[in-house]
Amino acid sequence: MISLWLTSVLPELFLVFAGGLLVLLDAFLPRLRPALAWLALATVLGALGLRWILPAPGPVWEGMLLVDELGRFVDSYILLAAALALFMADPYLERTKSRYGEFFGLLLWAAVGAMTMAKANHLLVVFVGLELLSVVLYVLNAFHRDSILSLEAGWKYLVVGAFSSAVFVFGAALLYGAASTFSLGELASGINQGWLVVLGLGLLASALAFKLALFPFHAWAPDVYQGSPTPVTAFLSVVPKGAALVVLARLVATVNPQTLTPRWTSVLASLAVGSMVLGNLAAIAQRDLKRMLAYSGIAHMGYALVGLVAFGPDGLAAVLVYLAAYTFMNIAAFAAVAAFSENEEEPHLINDLAGQGWERPTVAFALSVAMFALAGIPPTVGFVGKFLAFRAAVNMNMVWLAVVGVLTSLVSVFYYVRVVYYLYMKPLPKRKPAFSEPWAIRLLAALCLAGMVVLGVFPKTLLELAEGAAAILVR
Amino acid sequence: MNFLDWPLSTLIFLPAGAGLFLLFVPGRAVALHRWVSLVASLATFALSLVVYARFDPEQAAFQLTETAPWLPSLGISYRVELDGLSILLVLLTALLQPVVFLSSWGSIHEKVKGYTVAMLFLETGVLGAFLATDMFLFYVFWELMLIPMYFIIGVWGGERRIYAAVKFVLFTIAGSLLMLVAILYMAFQYKTQFGTLSFAYADWLKLHLPMGASFWQSPQMLAFAAFALAFAIKVPVWPLHTWLPDAHTEAPTGGSIILAGVLLKLGTYGLLRFNRTLFPEAWEASRGFFITLAVIAIVYGALVSWAQKDMKRLVAFSSVSHMGFIILGMFAGGLVATQGALLQMINHGLSTGALFLLVGVVYDRRHTRLIEDYGGLAAVMPVYTGAFLLATLASIGVPLLNGFVGEFLILLGSYQSQPVAAALGATGVILGAVYMLSLVQRVFWNALTHEENRTLKDMSWRELASFAPLAVCMVWIGVHPVTFLRLSEATLQKILGG
Repeated sequence: MISLWLTSVLPELFLVFAGGLLVLLDAFLPRLRPALAWLALATVLGALGLRWILPAPGPVWEGMLLVDELGRFVDSYILLAAALALFMADPYLERTKSRYGEFFGLLLWAAVGAMTMAKANHLLVVFVGLELLSVVLYVLNAFHRDSILSLEAGWKYLVVGAFSSAVFVFGAALLYGAASTFSLGELASGINQGWLVVLGLGLLASALAFKLALFPFHAWAPDVYQGSPTPVTAFLSVVPKGAALVVLARLVATVNPQTLTPRWTSVLASLAVGSMVLGNLAAIAQRDLKRMLAYSGIAHMGYALVGLVAFGPDGLAAVLVYLAAYTFMNIAAFAAVAAFSENEEEPHLINDLAGQGWERPTVAFALSVAMFALAGIPPTVGFVGKFLAFRAAVNMNMVWLAVVGVLTSLVSVFYYVRVVYYLYMKPLPKRKPAFSEPWAIRLLAALCLAGMVVLGVFPKTLLELAEGAAAILVR
Repeated sequence: MNFLDWPLSTLIFLPAGAGLFLLFVPGRAVALHRWVSLVASLATFALSLVVYARFDPEQAAFQLTETAPWLPSLGISYRVELDGLSILLVLLTALLQPVVFLSSWGSIHEKVKGYTVAMLFLETGVLGAFLATDMFLFYVFWELMLIPMYFIIGVWGGERRIYAAVKFVLFTIAGSLLMLVAILYMAFQYKTQFGTLSFAYADWLKLHLPMGASFWQSPQMLAFAAFALAFAIKVPVWPLHTWLPDAHTEAPTGGSIILAGVLLKLGTYGLLRFNRTLFPEAWEASRGFFITLAVIAIVYGALVSWAQKDMKRLVAFSSVSHMGFIILGMFAGGLVATQGALLQMINHGLSTGALFLLVGVVYDRRHTRLIEDYGGLAAVMPVYTGAFLLATLASIGVPLLNGFVGEFLILLGSYQSQPVAAALGATGVILGAVYMLSLVQRVFWNALTHEENRTLKDMSWRELASFAPLAVCMVWIGVHPVTFLRLSEATLQKILGG
């Protein structure tokens, strides 16, 4: 029994200890600093390998954790995102003179927090994961402690995060009052549809919506994205969102196993529509690339939520594919941000991209493909994600939701395409670029590019994995 | 694997393969890029002739089918096949592409690598869209064309290129996204009626969507409208044409040739292939509406052309008028008019492609497209004048050249059912002669007023070589149209009958 318990969380344990080791290495062997990022990367890949080698036994730790196909899928997504963020971390931290072991240790722990959330079958375990993830991210956001923007980002995320944690705990407490349990599995049988339950579930959903930066809980996102160190922004823009979305899916699926109640549908659909509309419209007005990506991220969580609104095996598979797609697209975009920004104090203006497409072909090409993928143009993985989400909506007789989705996508094309024309169609300003991008960034761009295109053309394996994982929740 | 066992797939992906190869060749090797792209496009054309040789025109159904599973759980497969509707358009595409590459040697001097790669991917998208019979695959190819074209207009275009490129993208995506919803809706309808998901065009033919009492309550009308909007923007049908003059005028010569020659045809092809067969009742119901728009486009396009000062813009607006003819022929119904419309798609591709090519020839020398900057060129460039005159006569429908056959069949066929529309459309033929001949007069016959025009060189061998295949086809279709008409007859009969 003990061995099963341990092996089921072996990847997490490995990451926790490796994170601690990295912090110690930094303190006692500072000569090793240039290698820390790659050690962290190796750890993440090791954890990913372990997750797939070890069996997925289902409920472990007295049913507190669910190590199932769904958990494995989301873990892979989190670890992949962490690995891609680590690729850009080392050159970035070296340039900004902040290469410390804490960064890598914290990043690994953040991943553990998200992985815990993704597999939690108990509201308190969700909370523990959520707090681990959030507390670590408060520190990482403010990692440039001399930069006022970075401090602002950390502070904003802290205030909003603490608030949403409180909302989460309050919601969990109300549910406990109604059902006398924190376990998701027992909640399903224990609760009625009284006002206490509705309020509790509503509060939980709101807290998760904060993490997802869904409208109207999105206001923190642009400032935090802009101020955080770019590799952290990349991590922040995908990992907590994926974890929160899976918690939301598990919560909804255990309470309403077959279909959503009309009340859930209308609430989630209005969140989705609001996020798609506001995110895309506000992104048009942005002149800073990171802020634009923040608003685009709000919109994209709206699209992912369309899959959740549709629910059913199609809808949940769409959500999972969307998350995987979003990882590649977003990290490619942030890799380019990291490559193009010279100084963290300056804004990352879209205007500054002018003419760079011909100067730095690999990164610029990856950024352009990421823009087209985010806009949902085939043959990229972004199209596959949107296609599945809209398909799920149409299959549930919610054609109107798909129409809202495509109309807002049309709006989004405008600002995504703007990035591309600055890259390739505007002349290069006189000022020469001060540095050329390191090989790691170029490799990362190529990896994301391959991910976006290969998964866009051959989505079969990804879709089958997602369908298998979604089948856990909805049969 | 023997590639000739998969001729259609090889045909589609050969250009993209060459493009992928060139992506890894340094941009400094300009000559290599030019030659590889030319050879690849010629090889594609040769392959299209192989496909043509294997095509059996007697057979109305799809042939040379190549299929492979893609996303089986969603009912999506890779499926390309050929019939009488697509064969001519495939041949046209494969013919125009080498012309484009050859013409670019004189006009594209910067970032040659990007241009050739974009053009090669564009060709894959176009050929794929003509040959795909799985709707998901069709949509992928349909959108695949967009990005290369965006770059071609935006990077190598004229002064207002960014405006034109963004406008092109937004217009096109606006249409195609609603089509995506309609595609999803059709697949869902198929599932509710037959129990399994399918995106195969052949399966969808079995589907019958109900016609409701009003437009908004009629699934068939709504789905028809979503498809038709995407295609009508591409054609473009008046009043959705406003992207076209900008895109055509600002695009580099090669881009204009492909845009006018092939991309517009995807709109009319889509209407005939999908709207006509999948939504027959909605097609009938909207016939009057589209014929009205077509007649407006014919007259309006011609009148606006007449008023243009810029040669490329004039040719661009003439496309609006010519495409109106094609829409008229398709919606007027009847085998004759539809065959005329299909042939006119080819004709328009040839003669408008030739006109853009020829405007590009003087533009490369003088870097102006304004009509008033020319005049009296006949004395300086006799060969060029002859070529331009041939393309003009083909475009305005002089007998024994291609345009005549198409316009005649369209007017003949549509007169039987729509006499008023045919009569009004016929004025477009007259107006066409007016604006094209006045262009020729102002550019070639008037007095030579600009001294710099006195020293212009006549067409080079390279330029003549790029024009020659178009000239041959223009005459061939004009003299012996049966060669081409017989290819499509069986298929069109089936489409109209079914």
